[in-house]
Amino acid sequence: MSAPTSIPSDSSFSLESWRTFLRDAAKEVFAMMLGAELKDADQPDPTAEAEVTAMVGLAGPISGVLSLRCSAAVSIEIAGRMLGLTGSDAESHRCDAVGETCNMVAGAFKAKLSELQNSCMLSVPTVITGNDYAVHPLLVGNRMDVPFLFDGQVVCLSLEISD
Amino acid sequence: MSGIRALIVDDSSVMRKVVERCLRQSGIDVGEVYNASNGMEALAVINENTVDLVLTDINMPVMDGLEFIKQMQGMDNAKRIPVVMITTEGGEKQVMEALSLGAKGYIRKPFTPDQVREQVVPILGRPS
Repeated sequence: MSAPTSIPSDSSFSLESWRTFLRDAAKEVFAMMLGAELKDADQPDPTAEAEVTAMVGLAGPISGVLSLRCSAAVSIEIAGRMLGLTGSDAESHRCDAVGETCNMVAGAFKAKLSELQNSCMLSVPTVITGNDYAVHPLLVGNRMDVPFLFDGQVVCLSLEISD
Repeated sequence: MSGIRALIVDDSSVMRKVVERCLRQSGIDVGEVYNASNGMEALAVINENTVDLVLTDINMPVMDGLEFIKQMQGMDNAKRIPVVMITTEGGEKQVMEALSLGAKGYIRKPFTPDQVREQVVPILGRPS
């Protein structure tokens, strides 16, 4: 794990840097906890099934929400790999497993930024199942989507932060 | 029963299973493993069982990991049990607070069985 990076105060710092940190954090978590290599996807696929959504709030120097969305099949695969289970045994743990995965990505992300490491707090994860819903964050700011391919299926991380 | 008796404290049942799996995969001789979903439950487990090692999360409802360690230090049957924190919150400030309260080690999630072994073996003082 690399040493945390400071947030530069000049305007040249862009959300692209945070995208890189988020991408690295996700790859780290999937590699260490699931033994899986995430591959970058070009852009979010709005038609991709997102049956399971995990969300973790961030508060402190930045305020925002990190979410992880995936299909039901992927959520079961995440639980299965994390616990060494298959089938219904893995399925019964899928929400907890996706929530913890999102939580670990949030933790690994903030650990990469020295200003966030000590003073940014994480909420406990919340997990939503089903896809007939809309999220209306009460944040005015920026949003970045970081899609991945996990075993050829889309997993999408989104970070919404207030200005 | 041979092997260390470990208590794993985390509000996520998945993480408790992951920690147990990593502990067993690390090569440490593990016997009985007890589970608790917060510090309050963990104190009850310690009062009713012999525990050789505690692995605990920090952020938990009811009683968090830091308060749990504080309470352990005030219990004759608990204060000598080594505690390793396993948590997503890996800031230096929080690490120092946990260590000052009596934790013997600190593992940040995500982690591997090797990292668990590196922290736990020296604390137990018995190479496996």
